[in-house]
Amino acid sequence: MERTAVVTDSPCAIQIRGLSKTYKTGFWFTPKVTHALKTVQLDVYENQAFGLMGLNGAGKTTLIKLVLGLLRPTAGSVAVLGGNISQRGVRQRIGYLPELPYFSKQHTGRELLGYFGSLHGLAGSALQHRVDEILDLVRMRSAAGLKVSGYSKGMLQRIGIGQALIGKPRLLICDEPMSGLDPVGYKEMRDIFIDLKKAGTTLFLNTHILDEVERVCDRVGILHEGVLKEVVPISKILESSVPVDYWIDVDGAEAAKLSGMPFQETVRNNGGVQVSGLVLAETLALLTARKAQVKGVRPLSSQVEAYFLKAIGAQAHLNRPIGGRRP
Amino acid sequence: MKRVLAVTAFTFRELIRSRLLFVWLISVIVLCGLDFLLSILSFGSTLQIFMDLGLAGMEISGLLVLLLGLAVTYTTEMDQKAIFLHLAKPLTRGEYLLGRILGFFLVNCLVVLGMGLVIVGLVVFLGGGTVPVLFYECVVFILLEMFVLTTLGLTYQMIATSMVGVVLYTFFTVFLGQCIGEVQWLLNQQLSHWVKVLLRVVYYILPNLEAFNLKDRLYDPNLVLGWAQWQDILLYAFSYSFVVFLIGWINLEKREFR
Ligand SMILES: Nc1ncnc2c1ncn2[C@@H]1O[C@H](COP(=O)(O)OP(=O)(O)OP(=O)(O)O)[C@@H](O)[C@H]1O
Ligand SMILES: [Mg+2]
Repeated sequence: MERTAVVTDSPCAIQIRGLSKTYKTGFWFTPKVTHALKTVQLDVYENQAFGLMGLNGAGKTTLIKLVLGLLRPTAGSVAVLGGNISQRGVRQRIGYLPELPYFSKQHTGRELLGYFGSLHGLAGSALQHRVDEILDLVRMRSAAGLKVSGYSKGMLQRIGIGQALIGKPRLLICDEPMSGLDPVGYKEMRDIFIDLKKAGTTLFLNTHILDEVERVCDRVGILHEGVLKEVVPISKILESSVPVDYWIDVDGAEAAKLSGMPFQETVRNNGGVQVSGLVLAETLALLTARKAQVKGVRPLSSQVEAYFLKAIGAQAHLNRPIGGRRP
Repeated sequence: MKRVLAVTAFTFRELIRSRLLFVWLISVIVLCGLDFLLSILSFGSTLQIFMDLGLAGMEISGLLVLLLGLAVTYTTEMDQKAIFLHLAKPLTRGEYLLGRILGFFLVNCLVVLGMGLVIVGLVVFLGGGTVPVLFYECVVFILLEMFVLTTLGLTYQMIATSMVGVVLYTFFTVFLGQCIGEVQWLLNQQLSHWVKVLLRVVYYILPNLEAFNLKDRLYDPNLVLGWAQWQDILLYAFSYSFVVFLIGWINLEKREFR
């Protein structure tokens, strides 16, 4: 597997070299050390969308905080937009959505956006105009006059994305942007990302929603237990021949015909069976020979999911259908 | 500077809208009531005592609002990490700290001056008395004291790792700062060298809150309050605050936000 990036002409938006982060917690007599990141090497190119995938606790948030200067590296360096994050000019061109966007509860959504806009140097009617634009974009115009304390989780997330976009960033860094959004919001957000990308914004997304990665990202990094396992273009994943799981729908009355099949992972559930893509043809042939009525065959996991699980070496352990796709 | 003012306005709005002013209102009513009662019970010049107690009340309510404000904002900014959003913006950490200090101070001014207005109103319109110039001068001294304490409180907020810590540090600083006279007295006693060195360190680190305590010296016949004294107190208040601000800034720059 290639470790470094595909050769691209675009300059780097984020350049990470030998980055490590160790958390020290506990008291001096019971020290506890967590190696959250281990010598990460990564280039994120301009005008591209980069997706960082990883399980809970893989170190995704740690990486973002290091990029933003909220944490200091134990070792290594980060360059952002050709400079250092401590420079005001660099931060001026960055938008950031934290994992849990908390705001001081006493302000309305509109006031918050106005405030963050003014930190980006906007003022007067230009600021008002931009705030209105953002409120429309994240569909929060009608709730803009409400205090944040009365917002739902998804509404907070929308204002969070709004404040990240208010300064028209060149680089947008989002830590799990889809969390808390309803299915409509989810699609809206995806469209926003795709539009931003078209307009030349660099995206850096932390996520474990693999569907989002597939639709938005150009390149993907797989982080596992603090180690950046691979960085691959999404096209390569989609072309890859990592076996995907399939669900074979068999008539319930014929479930008995499923016994004694040569596949390893069977999940019986109202007359269906889950098989790995590797044995799909074989299984179908066998079922036909037994004269079982196959009603349909559909992939259970996406290519991205299968690739991801294989990369972190969790195929057998974590093989499960994506929520909602199970027949 | 525009960004500092944006933070100031943001902080001001946040504090005003939390239930802080409600607490302040209660303390105004309680203190005025107490004031009234005590001044009726005591002999001598009733209005004079009323004003004296009022000044103490202004100081206490200012302090109360400062402590509560520190506690409330610590929860959102530090515990719930709202500060991330500010610091990721094109705002330096020094600007953020300064903006917050000014926002807190503005609220404090509102509280102290608001109470002062109530007292002056009561004295002039209900009591039919006059308010001496010294009363107003006392108010300015209280405001200067509040400025120093606000800077200290917010600096503690940038350093401390818990809300209780911030409130306790601020509270004890206020308490010890009032005792600076006792420290000075100890320094003039026969003590071992090292104790004196320690006391001297304490003496210089703590804010000299007694210097701002004009109200207790109202009847001091030796009290002179000329230009030289004003210069001294202003210089002290602002240079002390400046040093504290720098310490807070350096700490904020070094601080990691996990
Ligand atoms: N403040 C902290 N103190 C100590 N250890 C921490 C701290 N924050 C994170 N860690 C540890 O660092 C590792 C990486 O955490 P991180 O938050 O970066 O994971 P993540 O990939 O963002 O996970 P998630 O998907 O759950 O958000 C974890 O093992 C975690 O226990
Ligand atoms: Mg995370």
